[in-house]
Amino acid sequence: MTKNFEDLIAVNHISFRIEEGEILGILGPNGAGKTTTIRLLTGVFELEEKSRVKIYSEDLTKSPKKLKKLFGIVPEISNAYSDYTVLQNLNFSGTIYGLSKTKIKERVNTLLERFELGDKRYAKTKTLSKGLKQRLNLCMALLHQPSILILDEPTSGLDPFSVTIVRNQILELKNEGKTILITTHNMQEAQQICDRILIMNRGNIIADETPDNLRKNFKQTSTLVFKMQDTLSYEQKEKLNSMFNLKEENNNLFRVISENPLEDISYLYDFLKKNKIQITDFKLLETSLEEVFIHLIKNDSKFTGDDIR
Amino acid sequence: MRSESLRNIWMLSKKNMTLYVKRGPVLIFGLMFPFFLVISWILGRTITIHQIFIGIVAMTSFFTSTAISPVILPIETREKSLERLLSAPVSFNEILLGIIIASTLYSIIITSIISIIFILPFPTLIASPFSYIIIFIGISLMGVLGSLLGLLVSSKPTDMTSDIMVLMNLIKFPLLFIGGVFIPLSSLPSSIAILYFFSPLTFVTEMLRSSVDQTNLLSNEVSILFLIGWIALFLTLNYVLHRKTMPKRFSEAASGPKMKKMRKK
Repeated sequence: MTKNFEDLIAVNHISFRIEEGEILGILGPNGAGKTTTIRLLTGVFELEEKSRVKIYSEDLTKSPKKLKKLFGIVPEISNAYSDYTVLQNLNFSGTIYGLSKTKIKERVNTLLERFELGDKRYAKTKTLSKGLKQRLNLCMALLHQPSILILDEPTSGLDPFSVTIVRNQILELKNEGKTILITTHNMQEAQQICDRILIMNRGNIIADETPDNLRKNFKQTSTLVFKMQDTLSYEQKEKLNSMFNLKEENNNLFRVISENPLEDISYLYDFLKKNKIQITDFKLLETSLEEVFIHLIKNDSKFTGDDIR
Repeated sequence: MRSESLRNIWMLSKKNMTLYVKRGPVLIFGLMFPFFLVISWILGRTITIHQIFIGIVAMTSFFTSTAISPVILPIETREKSLERLLSAPVSFNEILLGIIIASTLYSIIITSIISIIFILPFPTLIASPFSYIIIFIGISLMGVLGSLLGLLVSSKPTDMTSDIMVLMNLIKFPLLFIGGVFIPLSSLPSSIAILYFFSPLTFVTEMLRSSVDQTNLLSNEVSILFLIGWIALFLTLNYVLHRKTMPKRFSEAASGPKMKKMRKK
């Protein structure tokens, strides 16, 4: 897919596949092209001449109405009609997706119960909190029982209680066999729920891996953090510096970025034993997905530095 | 497939009517504005009842038909519901037709009510039973035309209703003054009368005049043909312009400062 806006390339010849039942996360800084990608996939933007979106081998541009019925879309910001009640919004969604009145009634009752919105059915959408609005969005997206769910930063700005509800529902939907595409800024969320992650920057895909592989492939695999009991002498510090990629923090606290943590722990042990130095605290930190993300974005050749939120 | 399209258009029209008739800009520019304009026009002047009827019906039809259609797309862009519709199994044309039909029905209903209220105490006002049909055709065509005009103005990809309403008024008032409401086409010299052909309202007032006091210059057939021509022109322009500007409604990030750094080299 490619998408240009006048002299701006928003999405630049990207290509990816999502398997049935998979949760694919799209990560990227602001302006990376994540939302444009979703808008292309869901038919909000028309595809450019050589762009193709195929769903179960069918071309989106050839049978848009049929294929759009397979999608359930949850936006970052609620797009329900603010002057409609919860029930009116759900009824409208159901009709637009071609459901019968009986089916709408049945599905509405099931979903309102599942998302704990039953007592809000006659409340106007504009009176709902952000968390409740997001739950309504999920109800609207699931009303027609789509096989593919597209979630654009679904937990952004929600309170912890709503975040837990939304995340649990996403995992439950995966267990039901739904294919899920999710964009997020939240690395912890991506690590927890995604089977595979695409990292986008400047309209390009710069990584396409499982969360575990992304971290494994990243050279800075671990960080050793330790605190010395006594202040080191100048020579001792020089010695440590020659052994490790060392960063001293305050109060005798040191941080070592390690590509081979087991070997480095052994060297550190020898050094401490030889110099009769004791440590009061020691931590081995695994590289987080966040560090991988920042490293990849920063290394992307055209990065300007201010794109990470 | 065709029945699915018709169902979608009707659902969208119903939604537009229920959600937007009570909005501020619709009430102000669709109802209050023509009301006060008519009051200021007739007070202190010697105007016949026929002229008042023509003026009220023409202005109500013109203002109500151009009230709903310009506000829907800016509001739905701002509230993100337009994006939701575009990603649903609803076509772009169905969305536009949903707006046109809602706006047309609103105009026809309000104008018909005003006309009936006016005709009831003055039953001899209308020249013949056939004139009722002509009036209805006139206000229906004006409903479609005004809706298309409003929709055309809203092709500017903005989410600010006020921007669109300013532009709409900038277009509406000149069209009203050269629309034959205040001065009949038949009483104008030909050099000025030619200007009146640029306002679609002229043909509706001509049809109203033929049904009320027969002071019309153009026959009903000619007026209807001109109105259909204007409708075809506005329909085409709407289709072309909205297709072109629709993506710009969602490309706000594309004009942001961060994205400007990523311009093509």
